[in-house]
Amino acid sequence: MVAVCVAPTDLRPEVDDLTGTVRSDLRRADLPAAEAAALEYGLRIAEEWGGWVLVACCGSAAADDLLREARALGAEVVRVGTAPSPTAGPLGPLGPLGPHPVAPGDLAGHPAATAAALAGAIRGHGQPALVLCGDRSGGAGVGAVPAFLAAELGLGQSLGLVSVRTEGVGRLVVERRLDGGWRERLAITGPAVLSVEGAGVRLRRAGLDAVLESAGAPFDVRSPNGSQTPPGEPVAGGMHTSASRPYRPRTRPVPAPTGDAHERLLALTGALSDREPARVVGPLTAAEAADELLAYLARRGYTT
Amino acid sequence: MTDEQQAPDPPVFDAVVVGAGPAGASAALALARAGRSVVMVERGPFPGAKNVYGGVVYGRVLDEVIPHWWEQVPVQRWVVRRSTMILTDTQAVTLDVRSQAWGAQPYNGMTVFRADFDSWLAQHAIDAGARLLTSTVATGLLRDGSGRICGVRTDRPGGDLRARVVIACDGVNSFLAKEAGLLPRADATHMTLGAKEVLALPAGVIEERFGLGPHEGLDIEAVGGTAGVPGGGFLYTNRDSVSVGVVVSLNGLAASGRRPEDLIASFKAHPGIASYLKGAEVKEYSAHLIPEGGYSTMPELATDGLLVAGDAAAMTLAAGIWLEGVNFAIGAGLEAGRAAATAIGTGDVSAAGLSGYRRALEASFVLRDHKRLRLAPDLVLSDRMQQQYTKVLCDIAEDLFTVTNPQPKPGLVRIMRRVLRRHRVRWRDLARDGLDTARTFR
Ligand SMILES: Cc1cc2nc3c(=O)[nH]c(=O)nc-3n(C[C@H](O)[C@H](O)[C@H](O)COP(=O)(O)OP(=O)(O)OC[C@H]3O[C@@H](n4cnc5c(N)ncnc54)[C@H](O)[C@@H]3O)c2cc1C
Repeated sequence: MVAVCVAPTDLRPEVDDLTGTVRSDLRRADLPAAEAAALEYGLRIAEEWGGWVLVACCGSAAADDLLREARALGAEVVRVGTAPSPTAGPLGPLGPLGPHPVAPGDLAGHPAATAAALAGAIRGHGQPALVLCGDRSGGAGVGAVPAFLAAELGLGQSLGLVSVRTEGVGRLVVERRLDGGWRERLAITGPAVLSVEGAGVRLRRAGLDAVLESAGAPFDVRSPNGSQTPPGEPVAGGMHTSASRPYRPRTRPVPAPTGDAHERLLALTGALSDREPARVVGPLTAAEAADELLAYLARRGYTT
Repeated sequence: MTDEQQAPDPPVFDAVVVGAGPAGASAALALARAGRSVVMVERGPFPGAKNVYGGVVYGRVLDEVIPHWWEQVPVQRWVVRRSTMILTDTQAVTLDVRSQAWGAQPYNGMTVFRADFDSWLAQHAIDAGARLLTSTVATGLLRDGSGRICGVRTDRPGGDLRARVVIACDGVNSFLAKEAGLLPRADATHMTLGAKEVLALPAGVIEERFGLGPHEGLDIEAVGGTAGVPGGGFLYTNRDSVSVGVVVSLNGLAASGRRPEDLIASFKAHPGIASYLKGAEVKEYSAHLIPEGGYSTMPELATDGLLVAGDAAAMTLAAGIWLEGVNFAIGAGLEAGRAAATAIGTGDVSAAGLSGYRRALEASFVLRDHKRLRLAPDLVLSDRMQQQYTKVLCDIAEDLFTVTNPQPKPGLVRIMRRVLRRHRVRWRDLARDGLDTARTFR
């Protein structure tokens, strides 16, 4: 089983300019890019390893439609969280005076408790061969859940991955960012918790029949207390660094800008500085356009 | 792949409704209540997610399908004040109607947010047994071997939805109605552009500024005030925000070279409006086309296997003092759903089998109001109405209330004569336009 942890979030909440109060409406909830990437990686890995995907979520019922979409992609779903409120239908809570911001589950903002609840829910469905998360949740997440989850499950962890690919059943090669613009390549051979950045892959869309079938269908919903289990014993698994190399273009130290705050800000952002103006180079044939793009990347140091 | 593993045939529904706006949800509700299997296909992540309109819905049409709807509808405010303004750059003549009866059951108009209202209405359809497919775009019509419409293609993998009847409720500029050959190419003459801002204002300020009680609302419809571009403006009060916008002729807008947000800024800066909006913070901006052509621009409403309802069939009533689309969409959607259910029951979903839809609309307010007011859109957007008569009316009112002592009061006829001369309007034209107006709104 490949477990994928998600936390659907209102990605465009309203922020009160004066008070900073954030009002989110979970009817608009979506998977943050990193979690969408985690789910896509999970589906690919499960296909190649001949396994299945469990999508685990900790939160309220307001985003259940989104979880059903994951179900339509072939995943099993488990949600730990609050039961739907009496006014909340599949479309979200609508009282007589309009939508109320929905609390995203009792555990939001408590990464350790969230991880414990997720770990319990995952174990309730079996031992995971792999656990994938987004590198941070879409709300005010700091990216701590995957680390806590690894501790809960007793698994090794590799966080902030920019690419994940399989090398045969049970083996992965992943790449992650290091400080100073370096990248690290890891070979993973055992169960582990991986968190991925929202880049590189795009989540597939569920087919029509599957969506129709999963619409309104029930799935496993557990209470936060009911899903807790004692932390697992560390599981032996392999995680080996196979390469570390600088990323292109290489980072280079630049002197700290000087001047007053305004000048330093301009220097840091590059605003108002001369820049290479846009050029119209076409119309070009496909081959000429490719050459043009490659030449541009080479000029900028992206290719050598 | 073995035979057992072969993917099953796509499910066959009695009806597919494209769009879960007011027309679509109502059509699905009627079908589901008639015991038909129906699926709504909606491109947004939930019904109403991105739907743009001004802000006032008249719910009377819901009485017959959702008894006591006012007890559960996600209302912002009940409209108890309705102001109609005629604006020039510096003047305003206002007819202000207030009725406390509108603020009590069974209510009249209400301000609602579409994200709430459309979801609420769609939920009623779902509760009645309809299915909802969100984040799914209908990309075209499916036809059987004989060319008859038999479903829609969607943008999902394996996305063909087969059904006995398709109801196109996909809004203005309906691609499905066009693909079916019912709607001619969009003609800018019959379209207006509505653009609006939602501005935050505390509830208490709204109530004090507009003279309203805690759940009461105001609806202002204005003719003019749009920097010379034919059209008008509106202002509606929500619970703790106001919706302010303009509805302008598309051709007029193009000819003016102005941007819609400039026109909203002009309307907001009008002395008759500006003081209402002091300290209000813009939260949201949106714009959308409105099919304002009315009765004479409506497409054929049915063909074999397909019905068209709501804005897809140009059913917004935009007659100067009225801008009503949602109630017309609901009325049409309900009739489309009922007609489809009957046709499915008889096994004849050809254009003839579905012709009960048009008959039902002709007997209902939807086509009766449209037919009676069919000259209104052209009249309201005509140059004389927009450019001359607004000025004439405002000048007459201004002169009437300007005290010119020691000169005695000039008398209404003298004022009219003077004002008409000032704006080069002949009595003959005035009489003819007056007659036309009376005939249009009779
Ligand atoms: C600025 C403005 C102000 C207005 N003010 C008012 C007002 O105050 N009061 C009033 O009653 N009316 C008002 N109207 C008119 C009103 O908004 C419309 O008449 C009404 O929304 C029509 O409802 P409908 O269901 O026909 O279409 P819509 O509300 O446009 O709904 C169409 C639905 O179909 C979906 N859709 C479209 N294409 C596809 C596709 N291919 N696949 C899947 N889904 C699709 C859309 O996402 C949408 O949900 C206003 C309109 C505008 C633009």
